[in-house]
Amino acid sequence: MTRWLKISWTTSVFAFLYGPLLVLMVFSFNQARYTTSWQGFSLKWYKSLINNPQLLDAFVNSLTVALVSSLIATALGTLGAFAVSRYRFAGRKLFFGLVYSVMMSPDIVMGISLLMLFVTAGLTPGFLTLLAAHVTFCLPFVIVLVHARISGFDPAVVDAARDLGAREQDVFFKIIFPMILPAVLAGWLLSFTLSLDDVIISFFVTGPGFEILPLKIYSMVKLGVTPEVNALCTVLFMLTLAAVSAAHILTKEIKK
Amino acid sequence: MKHWLLLFCLVVFCVPAVAGERLYIYNWTEYMPDEVLAEFQEETGIKVIYTTYDSNESMYAKVKLTRGKGYDVVFPSTYFVHKMRKEGLLSPIDHDALTNFQHLDPALMDQPYDPGNRYSIPYVWGSTALAYNRDQVAPEMMTSWKDLWRPEFKNRLVMNDDLREVLGVGLIVNGFSVNETDPARIETAYESIRKLMPNIRVFSGDSPKQPLLNLEAFAGMVWNGEAYMAAQEFPAIQYAYPEEGAIFWVDSMVIPTGAENKKQAHAFIDFILKPEIAVQVCEYIGYAPANRTAIELMPEEVKNNPTIFPSAQEVKKGEFQTDVGDAILVYERFWERLKTGM
Amino acid sequence: MNERQGFKFIAVFLNMGWFALFVLIPGLMVAGISFMTRDTGRFFSLPFTLAHYRELLDPVYARVLGQSLIYSLNTTIVCLMISYPFAWILSRGPKHRRALLLMMVIIPFWTSSLIRTYALVILMKANGIINTLLIGTGIISDPLTLLYTDFAVYVGLVYTLLPFMILPLYAVMEKMDPRLMEAARDLGANGFAVFFRVVLPLSLPGVMAGCIMVFLPAMGLFYVPDLLGGAKTMLMGNFIKNQFLTAMNWPFGSAASVFLLLLMGAMILIYFIVSRHFNRDEIL
Repeated sequence: MTRWLKISWTTSVFAFLYGPLLVLMVFSFNQARYTTSWQGFSLKWYKSLINNPQLLDAFVNSLTVALVSSLIATALGTLGAFAVSRYRFAGRKLFFGLVYSVMMSPDIVMGISLLMLFVTAGLTPGFLTLLAAHVTFCLPFVIVLVHARISGFDPAVVDAARDLGAREQDVFFKIIFPMILPAVLAGWLLSFTLSLDDVIISFFVTGPGFEILPLKIYSMVKLGVTPEVNALCTVLFMLTLAAVSAAHILTKEIKK
Repeated sequence: MKHWLLLFCLVVFCVPAVAGERLYIYNWTEYMPDEVLAEFQEETGIKVIYTTYDSNESMYAKVKLTRGKGYDVVFPSTYFVHKMRKEGLLSPIDHDALTNFQHLDPALMDQPYDPGNRYSIPYVWGSTALAYNRDQVAPEMMTSWKDLWRPEFKNRLVMNDDLREVLGVGLIVNGFSVNETDPARIETAYESIRKLMPNIRVFSGDSPKQPLLNLEAFAGMVWNGEAYMAAQEFPAIQYAYPEEGAIFWVDSMVIPTGAENKKQAHAFIDFILKPEIAVQVCEYIGYAPANRTAIELMPEEVKNNPTIFPSAQEVKKGEFQTDVGDAILVYERFWERLKTGM
Repeated sequence: MNERQGFKFIAVFLNMGWFALFVLIPGLMVAGISFMTRDTGRFFSLPFTLAHYRELLDPVYARVLGQSLIYSLNTTIVCLMISYPFAWILSRGPKHRRALLLMMVIIPFWTSSLIRTYALVILMKANGIINTLLIGTGIISDPLTLLYTDFAVYVGLVYTLLPFMILPLYAVMEKMDPRLMEAARDLGANGFAVFFRVVLPLSLPGVMAGCIMVFLPAMGLFYVPDLLGGAKTMLMGNFIKNQFLTAMNWPFGSAASVFLLLLMGAMILIYFIVSRHFNRDEIL
């Protein structure tokens, strides 16, 4: 009896989590426009996606921001995790506090605070402001991930290297970095995903002419026009799926 | 890795410089057919970057945040043209650069909100009135604004997400003007709308026709073009002018002060003023163009469609929206109370 | 400065600098602007005033606050009810299956919640899947009113935030040593006692972490009520967004945001107290 209960509870939860998504994806292949009927398999919505220059622009923009911001966040964050685990410095505790508070902060507060910063500084919201915002919310994840990996590292190895005359850069690039590579890559993938899917923060800090995909989906959903949105969402979901799976495999390496 | 990053940044910064002429348009949703934009791009080679908004207020906020830079052509409503002009957010429009200027309807020109049309060129004009689903609602039930308060419509109405228009309905049913500035009267309007709230299912600025098409709402207050577009898809959707008179408005094209592509902006406005283009726009979005010549070019069914072109009596019965000055703060206060459920 | 200090300096400086510039300063600005006066021309101006904090207590706005708190609380409770057994079952399952099942929870966690919310819209529309199925099989004749209701908003919030509750719970439960429970049973405790005196206290840090990760975002997510809610569902997230992008009342919006931050601070404080009391392990 307990076994049956366990199975049905888990299945129900998974059904709840995945059901709507599967429906969305299935109907992106529907010939008909409305979900009231299934009129056969068709790729026409995907075709119209490709022929929609505005959507493609938004897609390229999103990818660009995601790529650049995830790279910057990964580089900066890895350095940061290294610094935090290895050095004592003034404000170390404050730094940790800031890292965690960013992770915990509701997106909307981050969004408006960054908007305030940019407007008061006289910056025009656009690509650069978006980039800065994305790096900011991705950083903590990289730092935490990489820091977790470095913590499991034997400091004796580093001491030995230093005794043998290695410079600090060498310690970082030739000893630590290869060891934490899975965490760095996982952090990069997660940053990429976070950036690609962000809605709330981007809503506040993006500017004219730099339309990104989630915001485009948001307006398309409100207009509720055609299953083109479904096709778009399916594509985005597949991308996320690929990135997350890759990151998960890499994170398992950390546990080893 | 550092070199990689540097190279990437170089590419990213150089790309805009290398690309050809561009034009940033900021418009209402569902307010311009894609074909018109495509035709413009083909004819002039100027790349159009098109973003949308769902209310005058959010448009104004975004333009202010970017200090008038970044958008080249925007489409505010009458009283917002007035407001933005007063605040120095608009750049003067050179009429000589507009070869199709003469096609504009003089009746819509030189209005108090922009004397001489120095800062705005009318795009379309339209009305806000009643829409309903003929399959669910009998036409006799939708003859007056007061019909919205019927108990049969509990949770079945869709309304525009516009504070002037929603409170405007409240003003009309109490016999006041939609451009009322007396706080006591605006409060009376607020009280009436408060009683309407149980009937309102959803407010929508992006696409008021959606709830009607989705069968979530059976009736409501929408713009005429929305009703027209809805009827194209779903003929049961009807548009009706209430006996007290509809609300009328004009949307114009303006160029914000900081616009970086003013020449291209003028080219675009001139393109829109072409009679054939005005016809195309009207047939797609269902709003009457400010272009007099265009009307002569239209097919009979469009010219005689009362949703797009109300009769002269309807226009007389109704009222055009104008600026209400500082009274807008009173409207805003009551709007917030409505939205927060008070 | 020797080379070790040089490298350390760069690493530390870049990071601290970034956080100072993009986290600390904006945060202080939000706090600062909340005390300023509304100015439609320049977004905010002197003089300093407490008016906006007083306004938060005005019944009109206190109502939004209260409503949001209730929604968030209910969402958190529902998520907890669903996730606790789920995480427990998952963590006690056979080892080889755990990794796969965990992945299956992580995927929706990282998927754009906007997409997931849209999926719900498709399901719940009057001419959506649920109604089509129910009408098609003759169970009902008129479509159910699902979309644009408070119910839809709850479904949306729970749906979006469920993985955020599952993961911390799972993380804590997986670490639990089964021998502790065995020992308790050996000492004569029955099922209830084992749960209430051993499992529950040990899982409390996970519960707290999950609650923080559900409660706070539920307050700030504006697109869920926007897409699924009706005319009367205005929650904190929509409210703040409105103040900044429609009403142009930055000081007031900032005051509301400060309130959210204080709430977050309070919850984190409770978390630390609870985890220190019940368990050495902190998973945040």
